[in-house]
Amino acid sequence: MTHDGLKAIDRRAFLSGTTGALAASLLPGSATSGDAKRRLVLAETQASLVGSGHPKTRVWSYNGTVPGPELRFKQGERLQIEVENRLPQETTVHWHGIRLPNAMDGVPHLTQQPIARGGKFVYAFDLPDAGTYWYHPHMLSSEQVGRGLYGPLIVEEREPIRVDRELTWVLDDWRLRPDAQIDDGFGNMMDASHAGRIGNTVTINGRVPDTVAVRRGERIRLRLINAANARIFGLEFAGHEPIVIAYDGQPVDPHRLKQRRLDLGPAMRADLVIDMMGKPGERFTLTDSFYRRQAYKLVDLVYGSESLRETRLDATFALAANTMPEPDIGNAVRHDIVFQGGMMGMMVERQMGGGSGSGMGMGGMGGGMGSMRDMMHSGRIWRINGVAAEGHVMKPMLTLERGKSYVLAMTNMTAWPHPIHLHGHSFRVISRNGAPTRDREWLDTVLMSSRERVEIAFVADNPGDWMFHCHILEHQAAGMMGVIRVA
Amino acid sequence: MHKLIMAISMMLSLAGSSAARAQGQTEALIYKNPSCSCCDAYADYLQQNGFKVTVRETHQLAPMSRKAGIARDFEGCHLAHIDGYVVSGHVPVSAIRRLLGERPAIKGITLPGMPLGSPGMGGAKQEPFTIYEIGDGAPKVFAKE
Ligand SMILES: [Cu+2]
Repeated sequence: MTHDGLKAIDRRAFLSGTTGALAASLLPGSATSGDAKRRLVLAETQASLVGSGHPKTRVWSYNGTVPGPELRFKQGERLQIEVENRLPQETTVHWHGIRLPNAMDGVPHLTQQPIARGGKFVYAFDLPDAGTYWYHPHMLSSEQVGRGLYGPLIVEEREPIRVDRELTWVLDDWRLRPDAQIDDGFGNMMDASHAGRIGNTVTINGRVPDTVAVRRGERIRLRLINAANARIFGLEFAGHEPIVIAYDGQPVDPHRLKQRRLDLGPAMRADLVIDMMGKPGERFTLTDSFYRRQAYKLVDLVYGSESLRETRLDATFALAANTMPEPDIGNAVRHDIVFQGGMMGMMVERQMGGGSGSGMGMGGMGGGMGSMRDMMHSGRIWRINGVAAEGHVMKPMLTLERGKSYVLAMTNMTAWPHPIHLHGHSFRVISRNGAPTRDREWLDTVLMSSRERVEIAFVADNPGDWMFHCHILEHQAAGMMGVIRVA
Repeated sequence: MHKLIMAISMMLSLAGSSAARAQGQTEALIYKNPSCSCCDAYADYLQQNGFKVTVRETHQLAPMSRKAGIARDFEGCHLAHIDGYVVSGHVPVSAIRRLLGERPAIKGITLPGMPLGSPGMGGAKQEPFTIYEIGDGAPKVFAKE
């Protein structure tokens, strides 16, 4: 992309002499001190997102930092955390990707009463599976996540793979004003009906990144978490060949990146093993090219002068399987799910053959001319199987029998990509546009392109009412969610 | 970092849009979402009607519309700068020509809600388009077409 205004702020002031400090800030956060294992306090604070030479940004935080503390546990351990809310809004904490009891899932009104201002709530549950997860509010999420409420939750394997260094990168995308404060135009219909609230400032671990120091021969396990409201990342690692070992925390047959790029929608995670085989002093750029004509440099990998080793580390990096039950696809019950709505949705529905068959317009309100505007006013812009949600409590769109296998055949009949998240379960992605997937990967959030058909399969083994929604938080708020009951 | 700067430069160019004319053609600078094809169709429509059109892609249309003085409920899905005015949404050229001819002391005009049948939107027109003034007070009707 051309950055016409690149000189508007003098970046050198920010960079001079700070490279070392910055590189350091990209190291994994203070791995969970004992206190964070027991308490998370939500409060407003100031964070230096853009760097020195720029004002600090007023953010909302867990324990005073953005991201919140990296919570680390071993597989099989029990998480027990008291959450205290010192924010001006009610909140909840959702433990994204963890297969936990429904009452601990953190969905307001559906699984618990919101944590009031000044209130507390204790979350306690076992961690059945190793992997890279994260936590965030499930209440007014567009604003609460958008103001900085999120943190990594790492469940270590009982026997971790051998690497030289492990990095956790929580990616975020902020919409900042020129004074580096968060633009407070949350909930506008432009974002809700288009791509969501995509921002103008990308951070890694709460800081606009510059360089990451690496050493020749070093093997790094990179845990990537997309905590952005709406931005999809498409990461290209020039000069390196990252191996994917897990998606959404779940082990996958290790493989190189498809199309040499890692696409990570909001809420999605990936674990990469990267052998740093550049030469001392070399520099490589990590680019985000998801929005093609808006590609930009995310960060540079910079090789120091010393080498750790001259040949690749000879050690296995395949992860042991987690504990989810294997769906019986031959005997699975099948349900069709159609996503509709949004800008240009009517055009896509027309091209794809309608789905609802009732001549619904963009808003599913008869297609009259006023409907788009009415829809924008009501904020109900997106529909799942014809229903635009108005809150977290709703009639289940599906009731599944506990212990049975299911295939959900999903169609994205919209002009936009959507990362679709199911709570309480991980599912296998078994096909895309009719073709079986190579890796049959386990995910909890699957990115669907416009017009794409995706089949997922899982055993409905976790009883309760579970959210099923788009993780572009502005889409979710504008109707793109439903409830799947397992009983 | 450059992404923060990008936002700032957009805002600067908003303020600085001027009445440039080339070969008798009025220039129109359109900011649109990278993925929105209706807005491309609108750009073609302006081009066909004699404007010299430049299209720029941005994800910051909501804050840019606020900055341009357009209230939340009145924004169109893209933002054009034409001869010192902002024109938001799928406004027909007849209204733009009247605006440029009369040159009222307002910031611009907007057609909210992407109505069917409006230029670039496709579909059949269902009822007259209500185009509003963008000014300092409550939005007033500029034209019904
Ligand atoms: Cu979505």
